[in-house]
Amino acid sequence: MAGKIGVYFDMQNIGGGLDVEALAAQTREKWGELVPVVKTCPVLACAAEEIKADITDKELDGVLLCGASFRAECDACRLPVQVEHVNLREQCVLSYKNADGSPPDFSAGAPEDLAAMARDYVNMGVVKLQKSELSDSAAVAGIARVLVIGGGVSGLAAAAEAAATGYEVVLVEKSGQLGGAAVNIPVTSPLAPDWTDKQSANLNMKISAVTGNPGITVYLDAQMRTLSGQPGEFRATIATGQGPVSVEVGAVVLATGWKALDDKYLAPMGLGRLPLVVSAAQFGKMLLAGNVSARRIAFVLDTTLAEDAARETAPAEAGEAGKPAGAEAEEPVEKFVKEDLENIRHLAYSNAVNSVGMLRLANSVCEQTGDATQAFILYKNMTVPGILERFYKKMQDRPGIMMTRADVTAVRDGGGHLVVECKNTLLGMDFDLEVDLVVLPTGMVPTTAKEAVVQFDYRQGPDFPDLRLVDGFADSNYICFPYETRRTGVYAAGCVRQPMTMDACEEDARGAVLKAAQCIEAASRGVAVHPRSGDASYPVFNFVRCTQCKRCTEECPFGALDDDEKGTPKPNPARCRRCGTCFGACPERVISFANYNIDQIGSMIREVVVPRDFRKGGPRILILACENDAYPALDMAGMRGRAWNPYVRIIPVRCLGSVNAIWVSDAMSKGFDGVMLLGCKYGDDYQCHFVKGSEICARRKENIAETLNRLGVQPERVEQLEVAIDEYDKVPALIDGFVGRIMDMGPNPFKGM
Amino acid sequence: MAQYTLKPDMSFARELQEAGGDSLKRCYQCATCAVACPLAPANAPYPRKEMVWASWGLKDKLMRDADLWLCHNCGNCSDLCPRGARPADTMAAARNMIYKELTEPSIVGRWMSGASGLPYLFLIPAVLWLLIWSIRAACRGSWFPRAADGRIVFGEIFYGDYTIDPVFMITFFGVCFILYRGVRKLWKMFKPEGELLVIGKRKSWICHLVGVLTDEVVTHRKFDDCENGPATGKAAANRKFGHMLLVYSFIILAFVTAVVALGHWGGKIIPAIEIHTPMPLTFPIKILANIGALLMLCGLAALTWRRVSLDRANHASSFYDWYLLGIIWLVAATGILSQSFRLADALKPAFVAYYFHLVFVWMLFAYLPWSKLGHFVYRTAALVYVRMYGRS
Repeated sequence: MAGKIGVYFDMQNIGGGLDVEALAAQTREKWGELVPVVKTCPVLACAAEEIKADITDKELDGVLLCGASFRAECDACRLPVQVEHVNLREQCVLSYKNADGSPPDFSAGAPEDLAAMARDYVNMGVVKLQKSELSDSAAVAGIARVLVIGGGVSGLAAAAEAAATGYEVVLVEKSGQLGGAAVNIPVTSPLAPDWTDKQSANLNMKISAVTGNPGITVYLDAQMRTLSGQPGEFRATIATGQGPVSVEVGAVVLATGWKALDDKYLAPMGLGRLPLVVSAAQFGKMLLAGNVSARRIAFVLDTTLAEDAARETAPAEAGEAGKPAGAEAEEPVEKFVKEDLENIRHLAYSNAVNSVGMLRLANSVCEQTGDATQAFILYKNMTVPGILERFYKKMQDRPGIMMTRADVTAVRDGGGHLVVECKNTLLGMDFDLEVDLVVLPTGMVPTTAKEAVVQFDYRQGPDFPDLRLVDGFADSNYICFPYETRRTGVYAAGCVRQPMTMDACEEDARGAVLKAAQCIEAASRGVAVHPRSGDASYPVFNFVRCTQCKRCTEECPFGALDDDEKGTPKPNPARCRRCGTCFGACPERVISFANYNIDQIGSMIREVVVPRDFRKGGPRILILACENDAYPALDMAGMRGRAWNPYVRIIPVRCLGSVNAIWVSDAMSKGFDGVMLLGCKYGDDYQCHFVKGSEICARRKENIAETLNRLGVQPERVEQLEVAIDEYDKVPALIDGFVGRIMDMGPNPFKGM
Repeated sequence: MAQYTLKPDMSFARELQEAGGDSLKRCYQCATCAVACPLAPANAPYPRKEMVWASWGLKDKLMRDADLWLCHNCGNCSDLCPRGARPADTMAAARNMIYKELTEPSIVGRWMSGASGLPYLFLIPAVLWLLIWSIRAACRGSWFPRAADGRIVFGEIFYGDYTIDPVFMITFFGVCFILYRGVRKLWKMFKPEGELLVIGKRKSWICHLVGVLTDEVVTHRKFDDCENGPATGKAAANRKFGHMLLVYSFIILAFVTAVVALGHWGGKIIPAIEIHTPMPLTFPIKILANIGALLMLCGLAALTWRRVSLDRANHASSFYDWYLLGIIWLVAATGILSQSFRLADALKPAFVAYYFHLVFVWMLFAYLPWSKLGHFVYRTAALVYVRMYGRS
């Protein structure tokens, strides 16, 4: 609890004719003792020394900076006490317009609506700080040991990298030898500059670098039995030939790679049906053995034939799969059954790797025969990742290689040879191609689609959640946080994350190791790794009031909470990403963060002055805005001069998942006429930083609506709207539209009660 | 369902690469070239499709393509190609392949396709004219005889009536016949399989030929279109000027030759129009001839300079290009030297120069169907063809 707050107004960032002195006087008058220092600074960024002096002299334990958005000047003042920002620039002055929609005239000072808004925001800021405190440390041991699961190219690279970075490494490999899929690929696409020529995979060197390193312990023929604990102090139990081994690790790199898609999926293209049709893996082996006598070879990258066939049979299969699932549901004890997520889409996902792979194979066969072979590469999308474009260029120059985009509509027997039917080609015509061999691409199915490889000993089960959404790849928010999985401290690298070429696997492994190192260090300091890097707060439970309803343990998107037999939550701060979804879920409001809690936001809501007369003073609308996407979008809208109705008051929340129903009730009883929940898109293409937040919020909204209905308040007064971070141009219309709907509904029946 | 079966011919692709299209495999079909080309028509533009045919070794497709000849080789496509595939060079290489293979006897085409065939090409006329020289020298009793009045008269050895005229007339009509057959073959190749339906009124091919000559050849209009193509950001020497000078010098020299031939043979019937060679320098026809020679030198100099200063990274010059420039240089040089030596009364050099002049002139015309000079017939034929069928 901040008891002595310094309030500073940043004159240069507050325009709009606002009387800052009056604002300061109002603050002093209203909060009295709580705010021993209220100052107006011409340029806040230059006042850091002055503020620091005030902190020592006046023993301030909180500083409130009123001016630009916290996003704009978060680095301006790094102060030893709690700091809060009041956004009087982007979301107050810059986005202000008159209630009737006309542009404001600031020449005669600030309009009354704007001044009221500024007063509300300053008061909300003070109370926010008042109800906030610094959190206790949640630091754990931070064991400097990395567990690498999988001994393929990615796993080997990760182990070597982690060891070189100064961490001990435990490497777990399922099979009896290291190397993984690369064992069958002695010569690979380029791994190093100048990226034009095939290269030896140098697997033996890589293996001996790992086995010869005293800092790396390798377990062959070993599998994960359980992983328990939390980042910085995980306990891994490994099943080995010599019995189970238990080892403490700080973080985990998941590099379990892939399995080839079942041949049955490629049967429509002739695999297994025509003897001259082979898979890329078979062809690679034939090539190594020198058994390729075909002189006309089609490398078919267009797999539409197989995909169409799979689509046609899919509904039937889904029906069959539905039955046993129903039967299981009747079993009293819930037993984990891994859903097999292998499907035809893995073929399309692997297109980039196959594009490079086919080029490599075509090159090798042309090289073996002195370009006497005609290698046709028939692709739908020739996708060569990144700098491998150079390899593609080089292969293009090869006289024996001929490429075209083509729809391959049939592969059939032509009597001694095969006929490949091609349509929509670059040659400007449809044609048949007579070949002696057809090579088909490989579908790379991540191991996580087939089994629970990590075997978490977590409340939410041994597997990663929601893998169906990403067809089994161990991946969540891959654009914002690569390597991250839905389990903090476990970082995926290589083909288990995304089909990739060998060079990319090695790079990926290094990235994941960096992430693992960051995680161990963060855990040892007791702060969040990501996305709220460095956040020291964590959920604290008041178990006295807990009813063991399990909502928090079930809803946590990251499985951070375990529980005991009775259902009492058992927090693991190092697993937590600090989104607040748990306290949004809690009906008893027993969960809080030191600097973010139910009472704090509720108090802020109550701090807004709501006019008794809806017609005269206007309505009041509360916006709870996700601070990851919606809030920046609002800032950008303000910066770009987009204005919205002046009767809204915006409160940033960590995630819509942290919105507790009580806040809506608080707002309604305070007399607010509507509540708008502004967050990220959810569903299959979710954009939520915390994966599930906005989705969970939408679900909770149904319950809120029911409650409101019972109270005689129209449930339409609460709406959840989706906005992406780049949609600043749409946000004002969203707000104005909602305000318009509220105006039509009339005042909140509870107003003034 | 049976459809067209593709028969890629890699040896053809290789030949094409050797004939000047060495970079053709680099094409990745982005079609920048087809957009950049100021001449390519909107429907099925070139040279994008030609590039993929070339890299797939589709000889049949490429050889039958009239668009090869619509290209005037400005090189915009090569300048703008993001991959350095040099489509212009590939188009030129494909034309070279046609020079090589279109007409019989094909041995000449093979000789003409590289420097190694050059000795044969040279030796044929060299031996022929040396034979004539030696026979005549035997008749005259001297290798370098002077005329009765002491002047140097080349007719003393290479007497028109029995030597030059028959040789060149046989050569001329032979070449005409070969070209006729070549053009017939070319047109047949251009024609797509099946029936070709033409809607609207049709004009005779003669009208279209006149159209091509007056509209395009005389004006060099397409060269302007090339120049007006998209900016490539690269300096390019003007091509129209040099080419036009050369074409006009050829027209002038052809006219002079025709007048002299008419004067010579016609003079035997109508003495009034008889022309005696050598003509005095002040004689109008002689003046015209020398103007033609001068224009030729200027045109040659301009075209040679352009070719030398081409950016090698984007534009290569093949043997065909250098052969044609070289042979015209030699014709012009030996022609001017023979006249100069004759006027300077340098007897032996004059005859030697004249001998080489005859050799080179014969090479220029006799090998025309297989050399790059063939373009003036084949391109004209292709332009007439596309006019007949509405592609322009």
